[in-house]
Amino acid sequence: MAHISGIFAASHAPPLIRDWNKIETGRKAGLSQAFDELGRRIRLSEPDVLVVLGADHWANFFLNNMPAICIGVGAEHDGPLEQWLSDYPHKLMRGSAALGRHMARATFQSRFEPSVSHRMRLDHAFCVPLWKARLDPLPPIVPIVINAVQEPMPTVSRCLAFGEAIAGAIESFPAPLRVVILASGGLSHSVGEPQMGHIDEDFDRKCIDLLGRPDAGGLITFLTDERMSRAGNGSHELRFWAAAHGAARTHGFELIHYEAVPETYTGCGFAQWHGSEASVL
Amino acid sequence: MMEDLDEPEIDYWLSKLFFDLQTDRALAIVYGKERDAVLARYPLSDSVLTALRNDKVAYLAGLTNGFLLRYYFLIAGMPDQTFIDGLQTRKCEPAEVTRGSH
Repeated sequence: MAHISGIFAASHAPPLIRDWNKIETGRKAGLSQAFDELGRRIRLSEPDVLVVLGADHWANFFLNNMPAICIGVGAEHDGPLEQWLSDYPHKLMRGSAALGRHMARATFQSRFEPSVSHRMRLDHAFCVPLWKARLDPLPPIVPIVINAVQEPMPTVSRCLAFGEAIAGAIESFPAPLRVVILASGGLSHSVGEPQMGHIDEDFDRKCIDLLGRPDAGGLITFLTDERMSRAGNGSHELRFWAAAHGAARTHGFELIHYEAVPETYTGCGFAQWHGSEASVL
Repeated sequence: MMEDLDEPEIDYWLSKLFFDLQTDRALAIVYGKERDAVLARYPLSDSVLTALRNDKVAYLAGLTNGFLLRYYFLIAGMPDQTFIDGLQTRKCEPAEVTRGSH
């Protein structure tokens, strides 16, 4: 059977690539160390497949067809369309079609009905952390989009449950694969709103505190739609962290790094969930 | 539960324009050279057309998704601070924004 060898989260703010040289030296060093550590830990987890949870920033889906959840079940996915990611080394990314299909079927047995895509375009949500963590060669990917850009979005409670469902799906896959889950996004940020540039550090610290605890109740109570919206529309990406928390059966996590980085307009966070450490650590 | 009747309506065709420009690089190039020809393909209201031609960030922000708006002005070459300043005028502007008619 497959097993989960690591569960991680990382921010994916576009200026981490686009405006990297504009970031203050000390903050840049902290971010570099965080991405290096993330990459080191993922490599130690020796993934055969990466399951990446992220947002679709209008690369695949539009208002005429906006799935709440979509699992990439293709053998191949397209690289990013953002021009500032033109140097991203993977124009095509291998998918794990077998695991993706299995996860889609298995989640249908767990009271979820995700849509599926046989070929996705993976935008910066997927590519920034993979690139910055220097995961090359890239293992095959199962991309999973949870709608975090346009209301209505799945509740945090459902995201937690979905995370648990995908963990169960992975563990029921009948091949001895090592699978790493990476949640990409957050923490607080605002895009194209009047408060753009504001980073809600209190919100971020509270989320970090709650995600570090071995339960989900506090997180569900705290992460209301209204509170995430107040912290900025990008803060809805905490849904991916909630799903990772669910996949880790709410064992809590170790914060690798957090810093509010004004040059990225984002509270940048990096973490690994307990119980998912590679045995070689 | 009653719906929030004050919830802003999204302008579908403005959003579609932004989406198409993001996902179709060839269209974005044409838009840079012949903006009006591209705009003519979309059933946009006069007020939206005026806002697009005059880079009225705050006005457009009330009609579309923030991520789509961000991308549009990013590829248009608007500096970040100009974009943010434009967004912040939204807090002060009277409710003159006519919601999308499409």
